[in-house]
Amino acid sequence: MAAASPTPSPLLSLRRAAKSYGGVRALRGVDFDLRAGEVHALLGENGAGKSTLIKIITGAHRPDAGEITVAGRTLDGLTPALAQQLGIACIYQSPALFPDLTVAENIGLRLEPAGAMRRVDWGARHRRAAQLLQQVGASIAPAAEVRTLSMPEQQLVEIACAIGAGARIVVMDEPTASLTQREQERLFTVVRELRAAGVGVIYISHRLEEIFALADRVTVLRDGQSVGTHGLNEVTEAGLIKLMVGREVAQIYPPAESAPGEPVLTLRGVGCAASGVHGVSFEVRAGEIFGVAGLVGAGRTELARILFGLTPADAGEITLNRERLAPRSPPEAVARGIAYVPEDRRRHGVVLEMPIAQNMTMAVHRRLFPGGWLRGAAEQGLARDFIRDLAIKTAGPDAPGGSLSGGNQQKVSLARWLATQPRLLILDEPTQGVDVGAKSEIHRIIRQLAKDGLAVIMISSDLPEVLGMSDRIGVMRGGTLTAVLPGGSPAAAVMAAALGQNERPDPA
Amino acid sequence: MNASGSHSAGWKSVVLRYETLLFVVLVAEWFFFYHYGTTTNRRGTVVGFGTLDRQFDILRHSCEIGLLALALTPVILTAGIDLSVGSLLGLCAILFGKLWHDGGLSIPAAAALTLVAGALGGGLNATLITRLRLPPLIVTLGTYSLFRGLAEAITHGAVTYTDFPAGFLFFGQERWLGLPTQAWLFALVAAAIWLLVHRTTWGRAFRTIGFSPEGARYAGLPVERRVAQVYVLAGLIAALAALIYTARLGQAKADAGTGYELFAITAVVLGGTSIFGGRGSVTGTLLGVAAIAVLKNGLACLPVVIRLNAAEEMSGLLTGALLLLALTGSVLPKLWSSFRSRHRRT
Ligand SMILES: Nc1ncnc2c1ncn2[C@@H]1O[C@H](COP(=O)(O)OP(=O)(O)OP(=O)(O)O)[C@@H](O)[C@H]1O
Ligand SMILES: [Mg+2]
Repeated sequence: MAAASPTPSPLLSLRRAAKSYGGVRALRGVDFDLRAGEVHALLGENGAGKSTLIKIITGAHRPDAGEITVAGRTLDGLTPALAQQLGIACIYQSPALFPDLTVAENIGLRLEPAGAMRRVDWGARHRRAAQLLQQVGASIAPAAEVRTLSMPEQQLVEIACAIGAGARIVVMDEPTASLTQREQERLFTVVRELRAAGVGVIYISHRLEEIFALADRVTVLRDGQSVGTHGLNEVTEAGLIKLMVGREVAQIYPPAESAPGEPVLTLRGVGCAASGVHGVSFEVRAGEIFGVAGLVGAGRTELARILFGLTPADAGEITLNRERLAPRSPPEAVARGIAYVPEDRRRHGVVLEMPIAQNMTMAVHRRLFPGGWLRGAAEQGLARDFIRDLAIKTAGPDAPGGSLSGGNQQKVSLARWLATQPRLLILDEPTQGVDVGAKSEIHRIIRQLAKDGLAVIMISSDLPEVLGMSDRIGVMRGGTLTAVLPGGSPAAAVMAAALGQNERPDPA
Repeated sequence: MNASGSHSAGWKSVVLRYETLLFVVLVAEWFFFYHYGTTTNRRGTVVGFGTLDRQFDILRHSCEIGLLALALTPVILTAGIDLSVGSLLGLCAILFGKLWHDGGLSIPAAAALTLVAGALGGGLNATLITRLRLPPLIVTLGTYSLFRGLAEAITHGAVTYTDFPAGFLFFGQERWLGLPTQAWLFALVAAAIWLLVHRTTWGRAFRTIGFSPEGARYAGLPVERRVAQVYVLAGLIAALAALIYTARLGQAKADAGTGYELFAITAVVLGGTSIFGGRGSVTGTLLGVAAIAVLKNGLACLPVVIRLNAAEEMSGLLTGALLLLALTGSVLPKLWSSFRSRHRRT
């Protein structure tokens, strides 16, 4: 099929690429082609080997076997320096910027020629950074320290770097996992511009609607093998899922059954000057899923941090089960039955050096280990149960968290907090980077927990998810809650509230 | 083929291998000195390394540094450091002497108060580190001078407390059930620290904090409290070491324990505990202490060293060399595998 097409030789092609980590065979002989001026999607379950494939293309890992042809040069492996020289740029699943440097400095480090004694033209550096950031449509100050940026903002900086480097091949590993619709659209515009300029884009995402909206071709990986490359006009969503998972997956959200009960959590005028949240009032009832939508930077994560005691509130009143709640540290929040699955799994959700089992029991030390004595059997049992229930792909409970694929790390982070059997569960992007099968499983679990009487706050940038899962939807903008909409509201209404369009027309 | 649990097996076996290696080095070291270290000194008395007296001497000498190394193991596991333990040992020794001699307290009362003082000293470190969020290195560098300075101020740099009763000296100079008395105390503390580090949720928390303080905070662990406890515990054990030190020498001076912190840190790191936190074991620390103690004492028995009168210099030199070797040893496997993967197919 591909041989018949009259396309010129591809920008990049991979033949029989294989890679193992210890005993885990991440890739077992994959063929892959990227043409100039195409967006080529990579699709596959968590742990299928997508990121591994990317790491081979960027030279971060050396394949055990196979060859790579880039720009007519056939090599048996790349180094990061060589890949960069050949015009390959990558936006990784987790941004790799220096947190203590400013945005402009980070961009400068990537793009300016190296040299210890080189003079830095600060003015030019800042102008260049500002221009690139504008090109990707990010309203980020070049002088901002990277540590102060949210994850999606950091991702935009990475994209700005890739554009600045004049890359011929741009790889994006789940760039939209925590972007909201608005940032997503900007990103799509950027990607389409790249494509029009003849750049080849490799695009990884678990969101099928994005792939259909953006990509020209798709390659599906399953268990480290390619199960085919197709033009997107030849396939359907259901067909892709079947290729990827090997069976049909129902893509419907589990319905709410019972009416919500008593209010569990009530906020009245809650604010925190340090994190820019102010005047937030709402309540969440037992058995209810309260979705929180809003743009990146609207204060959604900051609100969760207040409830979890990470940045204590300095205004307003919170009650949990009719008792005052003012956690000044996470242990206090946990003791009151609050669980928080954070947004940034690699920094906060999982301790990468520690075994999966220890990660999962980290928040239940008191219950699982009475008197403080570790009980290996109980720990292993709990871990095995979650590995089975959440279909976590791993060598075993003792494998370090860092050895898991991104989506599987997310599941470990979720398992840790499900294990606490909380009264209030706060989920911050619970299914970011999770494949369709696992996503519907996580949705089913969340709904089941709600049915069991839990109050759930679900922050998500995935609009269909918010719309499909929530009983009510709170919309945040500029650090406060601006609207509460009933579940099943049309997407346009939520977007309008998030953009503040009912008050004034948006300039952009 | 070794898919299931390959990671844990891999990393456990690295530790095991390192500890085994250290053990082998220790045994080899011991036999070397046993063989070459039997001689007479210039005054004609036998100072044979292999004699039982000499072995007990080694044990006695290593108890104080050993206790400090045990105290430092949890600290270093949290990615912290405590430079003040040696100075605190000195301050506690002086306090003990003063309470007993000048304060007229009974030995048990003075000892109990000394332990409290040690915990308070550790508490000062803990407060500065967790409340003011200052780096442990800076805080304990400050208290390192502070504690020693206090000890010297109390004694005006001149007073030495002596004439302790025999019942107290028993703990430092006599044997109980065949072994030096303090060796039993040391074993007791070692067992307690081993349990704490390897068998309790506290030890688990220390490691988690060492690997990722932010990760630990988001997991709902009481990060500040655990960090504080580690330093208080270090202070308490330093006070215990002060009591044993005083009992062994029969005198309390302001310069007691000078430089001990460096030997203790060396022992911990030599024992395979990562200075970056998270990784390490109490067994490793014990082996590290033993390796240094045997080296130090064995050297003093070598004819050539006795002739040159260079025991101190030689032991410093070799301890440093051993430490550097241990540090490079822990990165060698990584270097080797990256070397291999780079050259496999070219
Ligand atoms: N450093 C590593 N050590 C051990 N195993 C690893 C390592 N990196 C990846 N793996 C394993 O290789 C397999 C493929 O991982 P990869 O990250 O490529 O998956 P992925 O397709 O990107 O998944 P996701 O959608 O979850 O990001 C997984 O089973 C993973 O556990
Ligand atoms: Mg991945």
